[in-house]
Amino acid sequence: MELYREGSRDAFEELFSRHHRRVIQFCYRMTGDRARAEEAAQEVFLRIARAAFTYRATAKFTTWMFTIARRTTLNFLRDEKETGEKVPLLDGPGGEDTPGSLQVEGPAELDPERMAWSAQLGEKFIEALQRLPETYRTAFVLNRGDGLSYEEVATVLGITVQAVKSRIFRAKEMLLGEISALLG
Amino acid sequence: MDCGDAKELLSACLDGEASAGDSRRVEEHLAGCAGCKAGERRMRALDVAIARTGTDVSPDFRERLFSRMEAEELLPKRRSLFAFSFRWAALPLAAAALGLFFLMSREAPRGPAAPGSAPQVAVIQPESPARAARETRAPEGTAVAGREELAAEEREIVAYLEILEDPASFEEPGGIDEMEMFLPDGKKQG
Repeated sequence: MELYREGSRDAFEELFSRHHRRVIQFCYRMTGDRARAEEAAQEVFLRIARAAFTYRATAKFTTWMFTIARRTTLNFLRDEKETGEKVPLLDGPGGEDTPGSLQVEGPAELDPERMAWSAQLGEKFIEALQRLPETYRTAFVLNRGDGLSYEEVATVLGITVQAVKSRIFRAKEMLLGEISALLG
Repeated sequence: MDCGDAKELLSACLDGEASAGDSRRVEEHLAGCAGCKAGERRMRALDVAIARTGTDVSPDFRERLFSRMEAEELLPKRRSLFAFSFRWAALPLAAAALGLFFLMSREAPRGPAAPGSAPQVAVIQPESPARAARETRAPEGTAVAGREELAAEEREIVAYLEILEDPASFEEPGGIDEMEMFLPDGKKQG
């Protein structure tokens, strides 16, 4: 970012080449649509470029980048909500980070070693992700999808590590309920 | 530890975020709880699921983004290779051109040619007719300096041509009459 701020095009191209796939995947998991994901990802990089002068080297770049990516996708989802499409943005039932009531048992066939993953199942999983409350979905996607630690997720979301732990657990429980239903 | 606590701790264990003590307690619980052991398998399945939800990137994604950034002046435009190389090649090219001009000016005549003086051209001295005649007498196939590739008949023609081109030969008494060459053999004079 320092080199880019000094006017280096190569620096931005390097930054883009390192991170664009992660950003696009994050946007896809958050929006559930490939075209919208690319549109959002383009906006993410534009915002990164516009905000380059606000970046402080003390912050980890990926954390800063995903903070921008999350806000950008939220804007996309809010715009869609305003146009009438059904996008869950609120926290789940029972309030913020309250554990307990969502324990859904799934079939033992979900063993990863025996699970045959099809493209159709992938689509269904993405759809199931979209039905999660945004706060759960973001925490789960950032941690399990993009490999951020609980602490990094906490920084992106501006919450505590304990809250991240709770949200990810609840996201898993809800997803298992969805996938169990899919597998019948 | 009850199953509720064990599941949340299990989630953190699978994410690599639990302490060593919590991990040990979860393992102890799983050893004696078939339900939570099944829950562990299901949670691992989620990792497989999310890892397989990637999407391809459009081939023109980068171009579209960079075009937008250039339009907003967020990205310095890359200079063309021609402009870059011309800029850096201009100085050496200019030096080379100057050096070439200097060398050429040294090779050229220092002053203007004197009026009426003949231009300097390479002068090829024609061989004497006598020598040419000797050469015509050389045996066929014999290599003669400057005539190596000529057959005897060709050498004879060359010899006559050289005689014709030599004005002095016409003034010599007993020399070959210019017109005699065109007369039949029986009508030759002298």
